[in-house]
Amino acid sequence: MPVSTNRIDKIEKSIIYIVLFVFIGLTMFPLIWVFTTSLKPNDESMSFPPKLIPEKVTLENYFFVMTNSTIVKSLYNSLIVSVGSMILNVSICALAGYGLARFEFRAKSILLYVILALFTIPIIVNIIPLYSILANLNMLNSLLSLILTFQILIIPLNVVLLKNYFETIPKEVEESALIDGCSKFGVLRRIIIPLSLPGLAVAAIFSFIFSWNEFVLPIVLANSPDSTLFQVALYQFISIYRIEWGYLSAGIVVALVPVIILIIAFQRQMIKGFTLGSLRG
Amino acid sequence: MHITAIFKKAGAPTRLMKLTASLLAVMVSLVFVSLYFENNFEIVFGQQITLTAIVAEPKERWDILFDKALEKLKANHPDMDIKIDYRVLPYDATRTQILTSMSGKTPIDLISVDQIWLGEFAEGGFLTDLTNKTKDWGRANEWYPTNWEGGKYENKTYGIWSWTDVRAIWYWKDLLKEAGVDPQNLTSWKGYIESAKTLNNALKDMGIQGVHLVGAAHSPDMWYPYLWMLGGEILKQKEGHPEKGTYWFPAFNSTEGVKALDFLKQQVDAGISPQPNHFWGQEFADKKFAVMLEGSWLLGTFPKEQWGTLDQNIGMLPVFPTPSSDVNSTTMMGGWLLSIPQTSPNKDLAWELLTIMVDPQILTPMLQQEGYLPTQKPIGEGAYAAQLNSTIPYYSELVSMIPNAHSRPNIPEYPQIAENIKQAIDEVYYKIKEPKQALDDAAKKSAEVLGW
Amino acid sequence: MMTFSKTEPYLYLVPALSILFLFLLFPFFWNVYISLHQVSITSILKEWRFSGTDNFVQVLNDPNFHTSVKVSAIFVGSSVTFQFLIGLLISSLLNQNIRGKQLLIAVVMIPWITSGLIAAFSFKFIFDNSFGIINYFFNSIGLHSIPWLSDPNTVIWSIVIANVWYGTPFTILFLTAGLLSVNPSIYESAKIDGASKLKSFFYLTLPLIKPFILLDVVLITIWSINFFEIPLIMTGGNPLFASTPASLYMYRQAFEFGLLSKGSAAGILLLMINIMVAIIYIVALKKRG
Repeated sequence: MPVSTNRIDKIEKSIIYIVLFVFIGLTMFPLIWVFTTSLKPNDESMSFPPKLIPEKVTLENYFFVMTNSTIVKSLYNSLIVSVGSMILNVSICALAGYGLARFEFRAKSILLYVILALFTIPIIVNIIPLYSILANLNMLNSLLSLILTFQILIIPLNVVLLKNYFETIPKEVEESALIDGCSKFGVLRRIIIPLSLPGLAVAAIFSFIFSWNEFVLPIVLANSPDSTLFQVALYQFISIYRIEWGYLSAGIVVALVPVIILIIAFQRQMIKGFTLGSLRG
Repeated sequence: MHITAIFKKAGAPTRLMKLTASLLAVMVSLVFVSLYFENNFEIVFGQQITLTAIVAEPKERWDILFDKALEKLKANHPDMDIKIDYRVLPYDATRTQILTSMSGKTPIDLISVDQIWLGEFAEGGFLTDLTNKTKDWGRANEWYPTNWEGGKYENKTYGIWSWTDVRAIWYWKDLLKEAGVDPQNLTSWKGYIESAKTLNNALKDMGIQGVHLVGAAHSPDMWYPYLWMLGGEILKQKEGHPEKGTYWFPAFNSTEGVKALDFLKQQVDAGISPQPNHFWGQEFADKKFAVMLEGSWLLGTFPKEQWGTLDQNIGMLPVFPTPSSDVNSTTMMGGWLLSIPQTSPNKDLAWELLTIMVDPQILTPMLQQEGYLPTQKPIGEGAYAAQLNSTIPYYSELVSMIPNAHSRPNIPEYPQIAENIKQAIDEVYYKIKEPKQALDDAAKKSAEVLGW
Repeated sequence: MMTFSKTEPYLYLVPALSILFLFLLFPFFWNVYISLHQVSITSILKEWRFSGTDNFVQVLNDPNFHTSVKVSAIFVGSSVTFQFLIGLLISSLLNQNIRGKQLLIAVVMIPWITSGLIAAFSFKFIFDNSFGIINYFFNSIGLHSIPWLSDPNTVIWSIVIANVWYGTPFTILFLTAGLLSVNPSIYESAKIDGASKLKSFFYLTLPLIKPFILLDVVLITIWSINFFEIPLIMTGGNPLFASTPASLYMYRQAFEFGLLSKGSAAGILLLMINIMVAIIYIVALKKRG
């Protein structure tokens, strides 16, 4: 009965779309609300009853945020730290993941468990010791120390992710290249890296997002005007302008733009990386 | 998937990836350039003395103060290139930052200390003993005695109380008129609750609440005045402490305390909801509340150009509501102290900066801008007072509250005791315990904190 | 077999391990040391008195800690359950043959990239008692306002909603990846058998993506246990510790009250819970074979 299967298919499809769009609607609602608020003049953002569509569209909130020198500087800082942390993280995790995937050695499983166990430590209890260590190294309020400390947030996850990814690349490919006279470095550059690009993309996105979003470490470890990160600046901005939701929502929208661009750009690679990495624990 | 297929798929970089790669390259070079500058900044710009400070928001007050003070400090030392690097942090973050900085022995030259933190910080050895410096300075007797004492811990001076604030009743004249409420009714406990009900009924549809009730971290601050006006105390000295002989013991669970807390309970029973978010008067300025018991800083949330005519719209009663007319009202006095951390490498210069900052000539314009009240006689009386009186609305009425105002103990254990009291108040707000039970439990925990 | 010297594999691990040791393990041991001594604001610069397990006893006897563990249990339990179930539903729908899949995936990911800070502020904004849109909406359809952030019984659900909103996209992404890794030809054979779609989902798909599910659940569980930015910013843990999970309890002890040792001890107790979760995961994996 081809007709009725067709109809069932159609009903099924529409249910799928309805559920998906309801979900997306619920998901996007807070952000849409934030976005429309950012376009309202401040007295309207708290008016009663609340209005979803601004009566008077204004860009003054954005103007205010973008002319705040701390915010602008912090955006730049955050970009440097997140990109720096991403590059460093992908490099060291790729090395570690490669080491764990390609070699059989005695301490291998122990090291792997240690790395995984470290993942469970609540970072926040370490703040005071971390501060003292950085103070002794004279590295407080530096973007470099933020790049280094952010590594602890993400190394364990990315090491495991990349290890699994490298394991999906057959050893034979590498071995035959070595036999063909390729140097070890040549193998890494010509074969491993191109083959693992999707995996590296996932790792890169993870480290970027974790660094971009981190708030507790930088608020304590770096808050000089020169080293403030965006999340911290936004937090301080909000506490200073307490209830000025217009400014706050404009700040939120500004914060979202770079990450959304990144996600859209890397999206295809990411799903592919996830799939092939087939993250076995 | 076949190996060669993977190879082909991943091996041919897309245009997007090329673009990403070049973007990354640009960003990497940015990282290195900025790291270079960060590390070489001081070498490039030569020697200078930078004084560092950690202070609590709002920012504006520090901008005004540091700007003027630095000018004067530079004039005193034409041979030096002095800079001030001050970080304005949110209230909670200020405390966290001071704590971590001190534990990491970070050099800092000046900090703002909430009056209740002083004992804790002094006991912790964070603060420089200023006793000798103040003797040479000779301005101690120009302070109001309570305010000077507030800078002392165990008879040594650790901070200079720079400005204060008092809490009072504020109300929107038009809203009270519309609801038919006589402001004078707000001055008695009974009238306060009746007025709140009337206001709530009349203003509900406009999204405006009648009276404000603090349910945030500092809700004890708005309860103490009731305790004090009845003759109660937060803590009192008691003999027989296992380590210290005579030491402080919780007294807030007295009958006065229970009666005071019962007034808050009556408010909740009358339908007034405690506000977990406190915006320090902004919610009143935004007309979300018709009546608010709030500190004098509330004035600072109104634009300065409105100050001249503010008394036409906003009313102020320099009291807390009292249970009966024969009880004298009290209020609570808070404010900020300036201290020099133990880790300061430039203690003399920092002290000089501090004295300049509390110099009437420098300090008064800031007080005038923010609506703060003075802690020293040269500003509180005479020409400066006239200046403040002519710009700050209700200035003289606010100042008149100071003689009856109390301040909170600044012993090291106070922040924990306040947390216990706050919990007791919350337990009453949310009908988990009766006032007596809640206060007794808080007193028990506080006695433990105090080492009994 | 490739040949390599004995030290070679360790060389690859040196950078990652040295950072972990310097910035994670070393501070952690320091922290254990703090938890065994009497360290607070008033004693941090003085000699640290050894106090054995006093701090742990104090934490374990603190009624507020008990409350916070209960809050944690609800917070973690419901966050993980909802994140997982919603994530599974949405990812399997996204895995159907629908148009615009790529774009949809990018859109559903957005909450996860907003950061906890932004999620918390956004929800604080829409849950606000006086001008929040949710209560206004409730009023306009004839329901009573809900004191989202001020009632001790409601507030936990407000932070759960915010956390589910923030965390679900990760699960969607993770499980989408899992579903994509399933070879479609399996379904073809199942169709011939006449198995219904739901049946094939439960009996074919779920077992196949089990490793993804396990790892996802462990990750979101540990993250939820350690996470406190949302309650910190939305409510500060108030009222009455009703929105203070154990992680926030730890933070408040250490940084709000300056009782560093007590905070450290709470942190170590938290770590033990985490390790238990991880062990359960490893056992579950081993069982799989």
